[in-house]
Amino acid sequence: MTETQPPVGRSGGGGVEQTSVMRAAEAIVRLRWLWIAMTLVIVVVSALGLGRLTLDPSARVFFDPKNPDRIALDRFETIFAKDDNLMFVIAPKGGDVFTPEMLALQGRITECLWRLPFVRRVNSLTNFQHTYAEADDMIVRDLVPDQPYGRSLENNACDLDLDAVAVTPEMAAEAREIALSRVELLNSFVDPDGEVAQVQTLFKLPGLNKAQEVPVVAAEALALAEQVEAAFPDVSVKLSGAIMINNQFAGAAQADGQLLTPLMFLAILVLVGLTLRSVIATFMTLIVIIVSSLAGLGALAWSGVPINSVTALSYLYISTLAVASAVHILASVRQTMPETEDRREWARRALSEHMVAIIVACVTTAIGFLSLNFSISPPFRQLGNIVAFGVIVSMVLTLTLLPALVTLLPMRRRLVAPTAAVFMARLGDWVVDNRRMLLPGMALMVVLCGLGIQRIVLEDDFVRYFDERFQFRKDVDFIEAELTGINLLEWPLDSGETDGINDPEYLAKVSAFVDWMREQPEVTSVRSVTDTIKRLNMNMNSDDPSYYRLPKVREEASQYLFLYELSMNYGMDLTDQIDIDRRIMRVSNAMTGVTTADMRAFTERAKEWLSVNAPDLTTGPDGKRDPTGLVHVFNLISERDVKAMLGGTVLALVLISGVLLFVLRDVKVGVVSLVPNLIPAVMAFGVWGYTAGAVTLAIAVVLAATLGIVVDDTVHFLSKYVKARREGKSPEDSVRYVFRTVGMALLITTLALIAGFLVLAQSGFAVNGDLARLTALTIAIALIADFLLLPPLLIVIDRMMHRKRSVDMTPSKSAATTAALCLALPLAAVLLAPGTARAETPEEKGLAIAVEADKRDLGWSDIRVDGEMVLRDASGRESRRTYENLFLEVPASELGDKSIIVFDSPRDIRGTGLLTHAEIEPKDDNQWLYLPAIKRVKRISSSNRTGKFVSSEFSYEDLGAQEVDDYEYKWLRDEPCPGAEDLTCFVSESYPKNQRSGYSKRVSWTDQNEYRLMQVEFYNRRGDLEKVLTFNGYQQYLDKYWRADKLTMVNKQTGKETDLISTNYRFKTGLENGQFVSQALPRMAR
Amino acid sequence: MRVKACGVAAGVWLAAVGGAAVAQEAEKEEVSPLDPEAVEFYGSAEFEGSVFAKEPAFAGQNRNDFSFAIEPTLLAEWFNGDVALTVTPFLRWDAADDRRSHFDLREAKVDWRIGDWELTAGNDFVFWGRTEAQQLVDIINTVDGVEGLDEEEKLGQPMLKVTRLTDIGAFTGFYMPYFRERTFAGEGGRLRASIPVNDGDAVFLNGGGEWDPSFAVRWAHVIGDFDVGVHGFHGVSRDPALEAFQFDGVGRPTALRPVYDTISQVGLDGQYTSGPALWKLESIYRFDQLDGNLERQDYAAITGGVEYTFFDVSGSGADIGLILEGAYDSRGDAALTPFNEDVIGGVRLALNDEQDTSFLATSSVDLESGASILRLEAERRLVDGWKVELEGNAFLGDSSDDVESSFQDDSFVRVKLIYFW
Repeated sequence: MTETQPPVGRSGGGGVEQTSVMRAAEAIVRLRWLWIAMTLVIVVVSALGLGRLTLDPSARVFFDPKNPDRIALDRFETIFAKDDNLMFVIAPKGGDVFTPEMLALQGRITECLWRLPFVRRVNSLTNFQHTYAEADDMIVRDLVPDQPYGRSLENNACDLDLDAVAVTPEMAAEAREIALSRVELLNSFVDPDGEVAQVQTLFKLPGLNKAQEVPVVAAEALALAEQVEAAFPDVSVKLSGAIMINNQFAGAAQADGQLLTPLMFLAILVLVGLTLRSVIATFMTLIVIIVSSLAGLGALAWSGVPINSVTALSYLYISTLAVASAVHILASVRQTMPETEDRREWARRALSEHMVAIIVACVTTAIGFLSLNFSISPPFRQLGNIVAFGVIVSMVLTLTLLPALVTLLPMRRRLVAPTAAVFMARLGDWVVDNRRMLLPGMALMVVLCGLGIQRIVLEDDFVRYFDERFQFRKDVDFIEAELTGINLLEWPLDSGETDGINDPEYLAKVSAFVDWMREQPEVTSVRSVTDTIKRLNMNMNSDDPSYYRLPKVREEASQYLFLYELSMNYGMDLTDQIDIDRRIMRVSNAMTGVTTADMRAFTERAKEWLSVNAPDLTTGPDGKRDPTGLVHVFNLISERDVKAMLGGTVLALVLISGVLLFVLRDVKVGVVSLVPNLIPAVMAFGVWGYTAGAVTLAIAVVLAATLGIVVDDTVHFLSKYVKARREGKSPEDSVRYVFRTVGMALLITTLALIAGFLVLAQSGFAVNGDLARLTALTIAIALIADFLLLPPLLIVIDRMMHRKRSVDMTPSKSAATTAALCLALPLAAVLLAPGTARAETPEEKGLAIAVEADKRDLGWSDIRVDGEMVLRDASGRESRRTYENLFLEVPASELGDKSIIVFDSPRDIRGTGLLTHAEIEPKDDNQWLYLPAIKRVKRISSSNRTGKFVSSEFSYEDLGAQEVDDYEYKWLRDEPCPGAEDLTCFVSESYPKNQRSGYSKRVSWTDQNEYRLMQVEFYNRRGDLEKVLTFNGYQQYLDKYWRADKLTMVNKQTGKETDLISTNYRFKTGLENGQFVSQALPRMAR
Repeated sequence: MRVKACGVAAGVWLAAVGGAAVAQEAEKEEVSPLDPEAVEFYGSAEFEGSVFAKEPAFAGQNRNDFSFAIEPTLLAEWFNGDVALTVTPFLRWDAADDRRSHFDLREAKVDWRIGDWELTAGNDFVFWGRTEAQQLVDIINTVDGVEGLDEEEKLGQPMLKVTRLTDIGAFTGFYMPYFRERTFAGEGGRLRASIPVNDGDAVFLNGGGEWDPSFAVRWAHVIGDFDVGVHGFHGVSRDPALEAFQFDGVGRPTALRPVYDTISQVGLDGQYTSGPALWKLESIYRFDQLDGNLERQDYAAITGGVEYTFFDVSGSGADIGLILEGAYDSRGDAALTPFNEDVIGGVRLALNDEQDTSFLATSSVDLESGASILRLEAERRLVDGWKVELEGNAFLGDSSDDVESSFQDDSFVRVKLIYFW
């Protein structure tokens, strides 16, 4: 093997790093067998770990142990029994659950459910503990008695034979009458029409084998449902409850995996195959992908963390991300093919050209995903770590195994350059040619899209994380529509003392709270022991309905509950309603047809009610009144996670930007790179807001996760751009070069990524789906931004920096300490027209721009500045005037500011002073002229609008203090700023309200970043363009106020010009109001 | 050339006092106590030539005139300009009139600002006027009579001035320890009364002479579109009566001398600014002014009118201002001013060009005699630092007014070339 000298022409202005990259490439190619061995080791180690993978099928995986809502839920579940419930809902087609047959069936089902593993209790209409008075005794019995309860416990088979059960029509009628009159049953166990009924099972899962318990119980419940439906074709069974939800979390992961994995590989095969046109190349890509994914899963397995519905798809993320790197190498190989036959040279060249970019891309992607560790949802943390690991593995494989395969596998050599490159070159030309239009256009797009963000609604109805393709979801929808809400809010109302629940006062408050909740439209049912106590009170008083109220004496309540518990059947007690100390009573309410936002709103209302009507009732040791329950934790989780991820996102941004800066060694380009890195996510959120609106907690991690991905394209783009620039190409040519060299690879890899994430988006689990959809959207927009926004931005900024640098070299400039606009300060403050993007009509927008500009120029209090006015006639003859200008800000908006101008030259007018108290139009300003020769202060007329100020091209009107209200505005368009094409300007017209104005309108260009006036065109009364004012050399003072060093007014009618040059800006010099009065003018003008 | 030694001395003394005060204050600060933050030296020098249309009316007068004047200013500032020393001497040499060759300390003062308080010590001059024809209310400074007919040039007045700026206007108190005598054209100069005034022989009826102090208070305020001022004055009248004190053999007076006496005066001035129209008013009531017969007399005088400006005429940038004022003096012809019952009309034209070219033509007509004075002023900058001024006066018709009638033959054109540095 000969040492092939790297092609100098391609590596151009290379430095140390360039050659070290080549040396590395050479070494990699030489050690190819080592890489293959390494890959085999990875595969074996990972595969060995896979056997250890376990599944955690629970909605609770999303709750971090430190999540305060989770802590509250845990506390609640320690006090009361942790209910993993199962809702077994039957809906007879006959529409009556109170027929003897249906009641008998419910009895049988109740008994069958008792046989499920881990059952703690079964509640149904039939075993409802009906109480009534008989003579002086209180009777407690099953609503539909004589159920052969526990009859065949010894026989494990569940018997649905109804003949053994004797439910008479009389019993059925009685059951209907009682059931439909009891708040304890209505809307929870039976709907008001008696058409749908629930049999509720509560489980006590030991939690020893999470992966097994839920699926086993769920499977048996499903089997029973099938059995019922088979035996009674007229009855349809719907299942829900925590057991089914958790089971669905497990099922969804499996379903996703089964559906998405082949789809993903199909998509990758098609895309890579089509672009590389090579079976071998596609095969090589597949190897890299599979090994990377395997490594990620292996790492998860070895870490011992159970997989969950989110991490179950982590290998698909890895696959998608790994494709991009591999394609870069293979596309490069494809480009080298026509030039040489040497396979090693293909590999070497691909490596030396793309190694740095691939490393940076993968590292930044890894950083982005690692920042998911800031999430409060463990699945995202795990996902971030797995994906980061997998991406790094894929990077290593792409840079080692892949080149090795290239040299070893018989890839067919193609001699024709890929045709698509021509298209990319054309695209590059087009972008360069249209950059002036693209920049503002894209900026507008960004703003328009960004506005959609506010339409995004956080929606975490966890039972609806699953889409309609799952039977579970259909059942849930049915139950919510027909019977009762699935979402339970739990209110553990603390009386504050042991046995406090017997306190009539406490009971009254709880009862009032229950009554209030029942009045709320979103509440379907409320469960509370207070109902039972009322009922018992009535029973103890010979079923006298007037005694259906809370007992007045503490002891009565206590005795009733004691008696009640004594009379109950096995498994029935009040421990899931009242804590062991009899201090806390639980109130649960179910809701239906509500969004997460609705539930949050209801929660707030309820808390408000409690704080007003029962201030001493709390729900936690911290004195708070928050409810708890699974749904409540989910209600708040997105907000919490968005907040938590903010830090992570910022950190990722800083780290990634740091990597970019390090790699590009160009601060300017590095800073510019932030734009295409951040904007895509913003736009994606906006588009999401406009289209879908609702989003799950996935949104919290999207920005951080996508940052690392979208940055890849930026890296490839910018590194090529910087390289071209260093070779001396112009910004425009550099952009063309980028499009020619990496445009195609960027397009392909991005398409591959989009395809991959679109596949992931098919997940039936909303969290995965949302994450994938948002990511795909972000990446797509990132490509658009990289192609259409980044190039014009680079060109413009490069040109601007270049110009600035040449300006800096002139000694006068560098000597000038500070400077900006002088006389035109008020001008700038008010002419500033353009507006915030939120305004709807052009007029509103125009006004908004003016208001914003005005707002940004508040608070400077006072300014002194030296000015020079250069008058130039059409033949170029100049005359000069110098002066000092003093400004005093008057905070009141109905009063204008005050200013003094004191001339220094021409020398015959030295000391001539003009004091102006600005007024709001149409009132004239107040002006005093000081003539030093005779010490005269003369109030002069300021109704001169159109006249020239000291014969300059500035009229008094141009220079007068002008306020926002002096004009009407209309925004016209956005476009690159005249004279500073790197900036985008609002272009808007303003129409003077004062009829004496010399103008019919003014058109002003205001840059969108800082709201600085860049140019103003003045149209005279006839409507002709009369004067053009341009602003140059803006500098910022006190980190806030922008002032131009130089204003140039050109009279288009006469060819005369006037420059206003400002130097030595001094802000907040302590000028006082007393110095801006006419009596003080002689001294001020001194 | 005569030097008003006493006046100068007074000015210098006051300035020195003020300076010492500044120095003391500065020493407390410990930071380069006497180094001013800013020192500026600027001023002007002018060459003036006057050509008269007619032969002199009186014996001893020269036909034409050439003159040179210089007025430099030294300005030094301390404490952000809160303390300032201004010294502006004025020196004129005149070929025709030795009285017109004179020196004056126009300014030699220390200004000191402490918040809303302003203190001035030294020679200064003060302008209160509103109207264009004359400024009745300006009583602090004595007219430098040799400088021009318009009485705009005044002598520096030694004073201690305290001003307090408040929300309800500026209140100023003046203490003027020394009186500056008016200057009069000498025998060789034109534009004088038939009999020359020998100001060296001035008589003071008040006893204290030049060192009799004068006092004044003024309140000035801006109320919306109204600028108003009210003043009171007690002290030596700036307007002397003239008394013949030298006679020839046949008893005709050959020389006049100014006679000064103590007067009191109250005055009101104001301007209402209404768009392009400026409505102006000055009025005074003076007690104990000596009349031509050296008798004390109270009188009232009022000047008022309007100045209306057409701005940017036809888009040319030029402004045309029309001035119409009336002047009334209750003493009638006996008044010592040219304006006793006159109407003054004028046109001001400002081209607003780069040279700041402007013209002012006024005509004052005495309503009793019908005599009128036509007056034209024009000025234009040549290049930076050089400016040319043109002044023309024509005295038309017979005037019954003593003052004006003396000028009957003195219509003239005067050209000034002024250099500024």
